[in-house]
Amino acid sequence: MSSKFNKELQVLIRDKVISPELADKIERYYATKNIERPNRLFMIFGVFGALLIGSGIILMLAHNWDDFTRLTKTILAFIPLIIGQILTGYSVLKNKSVTWKEASGTFLFFSVGAAISLVSQIYNIPGKLSSFLLTWIVLCLPLLYVLRSHVITLLSIVLSTYYAVELGFWNHWSIKVPWLYIIFMIAIIPYYYRLLTKNISSNAVTIFNWLLPMSGTIALGAFVGASDDLGFIMYIILFGLFYNIGKLPVFAETRTARNGFLIIGSLGTVVLLMIFTFQLMWDELLPGRFVYDNQEMYITLGLLVVSILVFGYTIFKKGIKTITLFQVAFMVFIGVYAIFFASGILPVIIINILVFALGISAIKIGANKFNFAILNYGLLIVSILIICRFFDTDMSFILRGILFIAVGVGFFLTNYIMLKQQGSNNQKNRKR
Amino acid sequence: MKVIYACIVFAIIAIAQIGVPLKMIYDNEDALQFGTAYKFKTQPIDPTDPFRGKYITLRYEMDSFKTEDTTYVRGDNIKVYIENDDQGFAQAVAISKEEIAIKKEYVEARVQSYYNGTVRFELVFDRFYMEETKAYAAERAYTEVNSDSTKDTVYALVRIKKGNAVIEDVIIAGIPIQEYVELPD
Repeated sequence: MSSKFNKELQVLIRDKVISPELADKIERYYATKNIERPNRLFMIFGVFGALLIGSGIILMLAHNWDDFTRLTKTILAFIPLIIGQILTGYSVLKNKSVTWKEASGTFLFFSVGAAISLVSQIYNIPGKLSSFLLTWIVLCLPLLYVLRSHVITLLSIVLSTYYAVELGFWNHWSIKVPWLYIIFMIAIIPYYYRLLTKNISSNAVTIFNWLLPMSGTIALGAFVGASDDLGFIMYIILFGLFYNIGKLPVFAETRTARNGFLIIGSLGTVVLLMIFTFQLMWDELLPGRFVYDNQEMYITLGLLVVSILVFGYTIFKKGIKTITLFQVAFMVFIGVYAIFFASGILPVIIINILVFALGISAIKIGANKFNFAILNYGLLIVSILIICRFFDTDMSFILRGILFIAVGVGFFLTNYIMLKQQGSNNQKNRKR
Repeated sequence: MKVIYACIVFAIIAIAQIGVPLKMIYDNEDALQFGTAYKFKTQPIDPTDPFRGKYITLRYEMDSFKTEDTTYVRGDNIKVYIENDDQGFAQAVAISKEEIAIKKEYVEARVQSYYNGTVRFELVFDRFYMEETKAYAAERAYTEVNSDSTKDTVYALVRIKKGNAVIEDVIIAGIPIQEYVELPD
């Protein structure tokens, strides 16, 4: 137990908030609780140790020792792998502690990478980096279900993203679509879901809550090929999907800062829609330019179906009244796009109204929850929208002036009402 | 997961983790031991792979073939059938997207472009790993040798068996490139 906590208890006794007996009880309660918890520090050191040793081995092998014979190099390639397997096998067989499993699994993960990398060096195997990463992921991803290891999951997500980017962006030869990235993510989801349902407030879940949408955001770019116009629509749907995942009933008790899906989804949606408040974007995005039979189209449709399913599930569980505008923003965009794409200024106006409404809705959510961060986020959306419109020179000065005044008044009123309400709430609490 | 199932699954994963590198070794040893040796004139350039270290990229002189077939596009995987020329270096005799029935060895390559009756391609075995201190020296050595016409050309000694090509060595001025870069100036 931390000394800070003990000090706080002493202060509470001194100020006569709690009795010394109660302080004793509290102290004993936390002492027993701490015994049940595995030693976290030990686990962190174990994992970091394995991580450093493992990557150190890879780096040393990357030196490419010329003086060794092929046989020596080959034996060297297998030694870390065998050690890793023995350690991991031992921790599985004896069902050892989480620390054991995490550390041995991490070491094994890197030793697999070292083994295939050294064999590639010895025989000058020409495969590109992406095929090397692919072999590595395939050989290590199943470990996460045997060891239930957070670190292996994390490494698998990072490597899969690297693989997708390498294959889709950086491969000069021929850009390929990293379909296998989707398979890897599907393989990871059951593990993540189990964590969510078991221990949603743990730090590991928070890390995955952020890492998974970040990985998806980066990797989706690798799926955008020649039809890059469709890329914007793919991203709008992806962010809609993330937001709706963040709104699933399972996240209901999660703090906003721990809900990466919600934040990335919301920010992404707002930024992209903001771009579409410009007329220029609509001129660029005429559907006549699309090729319909390509990977972008399949991904778009796939994302759309999944997003609508997730959205439908939320309605089914929570009821239609809880739906916020952020959850349906991507559908509104798709609708506007499908119906009005060729109607000149009309879609631009609708998207402007949509972004404005999103800002207002964020302000409303912030006001209802007394959350100043969300309130300010809403105000920020509205202000940026107004600033963007300032650059549209074809809008009359009178209209722009009116908009600015409206926003100014809005800022003033919102803050005033919120502060007043907070004041009256505080008064009520004091009376109690 | 019950311990016994976890053990079985782990055993399968462990076998795969050992099996995949072993298979890689087997395929390559097979070509090195029993493959036919060919020499490919080349030029080394020195880049880095984040996991596998320093290597030299080999740009081969054999990089194009004249053909009437206009269906080749960038990114196509092709087979380049080879034979030795008068000086004992490999030269292309035919290219094809599928295997064809001629009694020649072939190597894999990727099409870069098709223009004016000529297919430009790159052979897939374009990496030769070197000790990190030597890769750059190798590139420099090549430049020196190349400007000095009295010395021999630089070539890759490649063992080929049924399309599986493994670089055995890169030879510069008659000796392996690792030894060449260690020679006193």
